Amino acid sequence: MTSAFWQRFLYPGALWLLLFFVVPFGIAVLISLGANNEFGGVTYGRNPSNYADALDPLFAPVLLRSLGYAAATAALCLLLGYPVAYCIARFGGRRRNLLIAAILAPFLINYLVRTYAWVALLSDEGLVNRVIVDSGVAGRPVGFLNTPWAVIGGLVYGYLGFMILPIYASLERMDSALIEAGKDLYGSPRQTFWHVTWPQTLPGVLAGTVLVFLPAVGDFVSAQLLGGPDTYMVGNLIQQQYFGAENWPFGAALTIVLMAFLAVFMLFYLRGASSSARREALV
Amino acid sequence: MSVAAERPVEVARPAARRREPRRFDRPRALWAVTGLVYAFLFAPILIVILFSFNAQRSLQTFDGFSLRWYRDFLGDESLRASLFTSIEIAAITTVVATVLGTALALGMTRSRSRAGRASGLVLLIPLVTPEIVAGVSAFVLFAQIGVALSVTTIVLAHITFSISYVCVVVRGRLASMGTEIEEAALDLGATRWQAVRLVTLPALWPAVLAAAMLVFVLSFDDFVLSFFTTGEDPQPLPVRIYSALRFGISPTINAIGTLMLVVSAAFIALAVLLPRLLGRNESGLATLTGRSGQ
Repeated sequence: MTSAFWQRFLYPGALWLLLFFVVPFGIAVLISLGANNEFGGVTYGRNPSNYADALDPLFAPVLLRSLGYAAATAALCLLLGYPVAYCIARFGGRRRNLLIAAILAPFLINYLVRTYAWVALLSDEGLVNRVIVDSGVAGRPVGFLNTPWAVIGGLVYGYLGFMILPIYASLERMDSALIEAGKDLYGSPRQTFWHVTWPQTLPGVLAGTVLVFLPAVGDFVSAQLLGGPDTYMVGNLIQQQYFGAENWPFGAALTIVLMAFLAVFMLFYLRGASSSARREALV
Repeated sequence: MSVAAERPVEVARPAARRREPRRFDRPRALWAVTGLVYAFLFAPILIVILFSFNAQRSLQTFDGFSLRWYRDFLGDESLRASLFTSIEIAAITTVVATVLGTALALGMTRSRSRAGRASGLVLLIPLVTPEIVAGVSAFVLFAQIGVALSVTTIVLAHITFSISYVCVVVRGRLASMGTEIEEAALDLGATRWQAVRLVTLPALWPAVLAAAMLVFVLSFDDFVLSFFTTGEDPQPLPVRIYSALRFGISPTINAIGTLMLVVSAAFIALAVLLPRLLGRNESGLATLTGRSGQ
């Protein structure tokens, strides 16, 4: 069938995305250049002051903190997720599908509820602290909450699945005979891993890293529930501008700045996706 | 992969087994990490489910089985309305996004135009955009064009983000499908639309179902987009949970979380079982994890 025939299938979805994804983002850009007026609305303008504010020493640390937390989250997810994906793919046997489904099961409980369960577990009166105090490991409850590690832990918990799945998929695709060959050629387990397995799964690792990092930067639930004002992320700041401070232009500017920081990673991800699509087209 | 290349390995394996198991084959540390990660993933949800049946208010000690939090939830008319609102939003989103996303996937893979390939890349952007950016964008759009926030605005925002998920899942399946059968149908006198309806779509539908399942679960569970686009009443459940959390801890939230888990799990079970019941030996889950066609 002709290309022109199939092209018609593109129009409804493309039009939808234009109207509800591209246009709104454009409006956000416009608003970020405007100012609040006394009627509670926004006056459009060409006013870069919101961007100056967003990068002000007062708010810039929040942005940097968000990037730092998200980077730590991605690193921890890789550290925890790779062994799990490897274990399931290599040694899961017939139960592989079940084990992967089990990884996804916790994601069916609402993110808010799951995060809040951690609050119940880690609070001063929580189960974890009771075990710690009763067993005499520490004399008094450990203050887990309101720390950066609580927020990062919540993010790891929220996004670990996005790391495990792509790594698992790339391990699945890999021919296990390659590992046998590595062993036959007298490679030590470590050598075989770094010279055979790791390079083969690198695309999965990169996809997972981006899929964890990007949403984690914009997250505000983890910091809101597990952290405090000292651990607030840019998501919290943006959310406050719409529900509380009512400073939409500043909120929009923060959003655009966030997107600008993330654009680099997105391009990276898109390039990877396009080259893998090209590879698939060739096969 | 050729059969000849695989055989020597198959033969070599039993011999390797008979040697004492090497650390390479039974890495205890790997299993330990995996076990810990599973514990980490499951501990909080087990707590949620367990304490949703607690007789007391406490979230620290379990004092006996009771259904009082479920009664509290189901006895609250506005919370019940929220549950149905959430299901309604997810259902409409699923239908519309699945249709639009499938059509997009067809257009992108099958039209050999540059527009198709370019839109394929642009389409991935919503997948990697933090939800808060989408939430803010949707919020300012509706505010600026003067549309009051309601269930409709939530659905519009959800559809926008779900289209990409559908498209990616369906495209994965399309890529592994040739165009030969469609061409055969045309040769046998089918019109182009008949070929799509009678040949392409039936072959595609496990992927379509998998995509629908994914969208339903994502939409049903979504908080951030709903939070930015919701009106006053009725609000979807996750928004209600958020408000409840701000007023302090209540075990009813555990009951809501558990019930939402049941709704999502039931929908997934349906999507996984439906193709089997209809005599297809591949499940929606297999398509989603990329194991179809093996």
